[in-house]
Amino acid sequence: MKLRPILWLLLPAAVLLAGFILAPSLDLFRASLFDPDFTMQHFQRLVDRGVYLDVMWRTIRVSLIVAVLCTVIGYPVAFFINLQPSRRQTLLLFLILIPMWMSILIRTYAWIVVLGRDGLVNQALAALGLAQEPVQMLFTSGAVLAAMVQILLPIQILTCYAAMTEIDFDLIRAARVLGARPRQAIARVFVPLSLDGTLTGLVIVFMLSMGFFITPALLGGRQDTMIANLIEFQVQRLNWSFAAALGVVLLVLTVAMIVLLRGAGRLLARRVLKGGL
Amino acid sequence: MTLMSYYVEGKNHMSVAGLSFRQVSKRYGRVTALDKFDLSVEPGEFVTFLGPSGSGKTTALNILAGFAEATEGDILIGERSVVKLPPERRNVGMVFQSYSLFPHLTVFENVAFPLRLRSVGAAQLTDKVREVLRMVHLEDFAQRMPNELSGGQRQRVAFARAVIFDPPVLLMDEPLSALDLKLREQMQLEIKRYHAQIGCTIIFVTHDQGEALALSDRVAVMREGRIAQVGTPQEIYDRPNSQYVAEFIGRTNLFRIGGGSGRWHIEELGMEVAPVDGVDPQKTGLSVRPEKIHPVGGGEEGQVTFDARLTQVIFQGDHVQYEATSPNGAPLIFQDHRGPGTRLMQSGDQIRLGFDPGDAVPVALDVA
Amino acid sequence: MNYTRFVLHAAIAASLAGPAAAEDKVLTIAGSGGVVKEITEKVFIPAFEEDTGWTTKFIAAESNIMLEVRTMLASGNMLYDAMEVSASNYPIGVQEGLLAPIDYALLDPDNQLPDKAKKEFGVVAAAYSTVLVQRLDKTPEGKKMQSWADFWDVETFPGPRSLNRQPQYTMEFALLADGVAKEDLYDVLGTDEGLDRAFAKLDEIKPYIPVWWTSGAQSVQLLSDGEVFYSSTYNGRVTKLQESGIPAEIVWNGGALHTSYVGIPKNAPNYKEAHDWIRVRTMRPDLEIQYVRQLPYPNFAPGLFDEMSEEVARNMPTYPANAEVQFVAYDEFWAANIDRIRERFDEWLLE
Repeated sequence: MKLRPILWLLLPAAVLLAGFILAPSLDLFRASLFDPDFTMQHFQRLVDRGVYLDVMWRTIRVSLIVAVLCTVIGYPVAFFINLQPSRRQTLLLFLILIPMWMSILIRTYAWIVVLGRDGLVNQALAALGLAQEPVQMLFTSGAVLAAMVQILLPIQILTCYAAMTEIDFDLIRAARVLGARPRQAIARVFVPLSLDGTLTGLVIVFMLSMGFFITPALLGGRQDTMIANLIEFQVQRLNWSFAAALGVVLLVLTVAMIVLLRGAGRLLARRVLKGGL
Repeated sequence: MTLMSYYVEGKNHMSVAGLSFRQVSKRYGRVTALDKFDLSVEPGEFVTFLGPSGSGKTTALNILAGFAEATEGDILIGERSVVKLPPERRNVGMVFQSYSLFPHLTVFENVAFPLRLRSVGAAQLTDKVREVLRMVHLEDFAQRMPNELSGGQRQRVAFARAVIFDPPVLLMDEPLSALDLKLREQMQLEIKRYHAQIGCTIIFVTHDQGEALALSDRVAVMREGRIAQVGTPQEIYDRPNSQYVAEFIGRTNLFRIGGGSGRWHIEELGMEVAPVDGVDPQKTGLSVRPEKIHPVGGGEEGQVTFDARLTQVIFQGDHVQYEATSPNGAPLIFQDHRGPGTRLMQSGDQIRLGFDPGDAVPVALDVA
Repeated sequence: MNYTRFVLHAAIAASLAGPAAAEDKVLTIAGSGGVVKEITEKVFIPAFEEDTGWTTKFIAAESNIMLEVRTMLASGNMLYDAMEVSASNYPIGVQEGLLAPIDYALLDPDNQLPDKAKKEFGVVAAAYSTVLVQRLDKTPEGKKMQSWADFWDVETFPGPRSLNRQPQYTMEFALLADGVAKEDLYDVLGTDEGLDRAFAKLDEIKPYIPVWWTSGAQSVQLLSDGEVFYSSTYNGRVTKLQESGIPAEIVWNGGALHTSYVGIPKNAPNYKEAHDWIRVRTMRPDLEIQYVRQLPYPNFAPGLFDEMSEEVARNMPTYPANAEVQFVAYDEFWAANIDRIRERFDEWLLE
């Protein structure tokens, strides 16, 4: 077998990854442990002060909630699109893609307009007589969640949709004619077959959420700080080593959580595939 | 009653039912896919819908299964009208073209699927799945996944899954088209055997005329949303009612009829034959199957004979396919089945051919 | 690092070599680029050249100006005669001995500059303030905040507030609200008890601050959108807020006055003439008024406020009545204590 010429095809990607991902990552580890001599003080600080553990836990929690919300909201949308005639599918997918052309910053600012004290929601509440005083929505965890879900939702919709288009429609027909009511056909055939793609989407959204910082910075209060925000602050303050330690923690937590989610997903999949929903 | 005794009893079992299409039409906008389709199928009968793509055979099947809604007309399974029922309430089994096995389920679970939906108890379910898998010789494959099976094995799983809940009617949508020739012939035999065992009514859809002739009790040849002819395989082959059927089933020599009210004149052969009552010679041709034409020595009694020159010899082992031209230059085909003492002729040979007038079947010509 | 130094030095030397060699009477001034450079070249440099007959070369420092000066000093070849010194660079310059003392007998023999303008190693060239700003349309009927104590008084002045997400000056504001006299601010803040006291005071206001701003632009935006009614912000941005129709008003009392300087690097080749430049830059109201019209960062040029209307003058951080009630931001203190306090401040915010 002549594999060599094929391996060459990977060279540009390999160089790119080694030079711009692997090397900086290793340097990140180095920077977190050497300041300039070997020291664990930065990690020690992370562990010793409760506030940093709180931020880590919050980052994981927020990311999980966002990933689950995106899935719960996105899956039915993808399902709906999948049922439309193909020309309408194209249109709907296009509509879903449009927001992704806008920068996260702009989409985040849009939420300020919506959730502000004089924002659309508060104006509506006031007009309906539902609120005497403007409700504080901006700079809350709810605002961060809403915006993150809105920003990441298209990714989950598209991932679920891609998984669903892979499903042979004859399988659903087969289930029906063999005795499954529509809901049973969805639960026993459609959902299990789209499960893997959906879990992939969930993990992608989770991963992206873990690194979010613009949205929590602009829409959240001080309690909504995530690891990426801490990193940004520390970099601004030129505390490179502490920032690097935070970066290492973010990396390790993200990888660990992905492994965990994948495992949990596989377990869930096995259960679903065994007994149906 | 055990399952096996149930199979042995076959056609007498009460769950076997006939079915009938009553003036069923399906229109998509201005396109008519099925046009006043009318057909009655006896309980336990094996009926094939045969036709090229677009002839309406799949539409008829989809309407019967409940995947498509009839624009008008009614369908009865047994005594019951099913045309308004969703697929799951029609109680028909179905084998799909691509098998459509559930890729996330084992062979066992695929086959058990209809029973699980019918809330069959665990012990009974296991017994029944084992029995059906034994019938299709896959009892050792219960825990395999579909992608670990060969094409023929998948086919058998699909069959087992379709019949495990004793449907009175089994639908098969081109089930053999994905298999290679050898396997296809083998599976044809198996399907025949299963049909004999189970005895349920089978509606089989195919575009392969050989398959249709080999398997069916009756064949419905479809054309542009209508039935062109329905009958036993022999009737369809030997007595096609139209040029379309004659040419779609096997090969044939089609001769045009000239002349007036007296004897019919066959221009291609430069000869005359006796007219058939009640047939308009303007709209009629004579179909003579290749195997009905053979070389003749002298003036055999009652035979229609004519001169021809061989243009092509195709040796096929058990028979020889000859192509020839008539004195008027019309192309002819015939077969020789290499009986005792026959010799292989050469291209270019001048020969005399003949057929029995009774083997010339008047068929309606396609409107040009 | 050595490589960086080498490149820097080489670049600067190359940019100066030509003119400096050809013309003896050249004063080299280093500063920041952009608008400041533009106005400086338009307003101050022609005046200086006319007065002295010297020519000037204005170098917009590409990177950290103190790094450049440090490199030049180390190599024994100081190329700059005068330089802008930002508030944060001043303590570095003093600590590292990069600056030469100002000779006030030479610069200001008639003692025209107020004490606030005169530092040992620099003269105030521009000033701005971090002040409390309130939206008058959101304050209770007939009431206005007068001090940081009012900012802390959530009973009298309800509504969302914002403060800088940095401990600098925020800590001072807390201590002022707690009753510390502005003269004593840094003495108190320098002790552990004083720091605890500032954090204790901040604890009180923490629940009423939905958002801590991270840039001046954000603080103004928050006020403009009505997301907060009261906030600390930079005085220069308030004018724009008022011009957009927002009834914002500055509370000068308790504001932090930030000053940036013009100074002379140690071993400057033209020490005496550098004083002439500083005089033109800091003591000429006729020139300063032109600068202020473009950038709202005035200095203490004597008689500056005679050049403008009373209304405009009252919005200037160096206007005597405003300067008097503010404290001067003590950047040496922050240079020495920032790491310690900021770490605690950041963690306090996360609690």
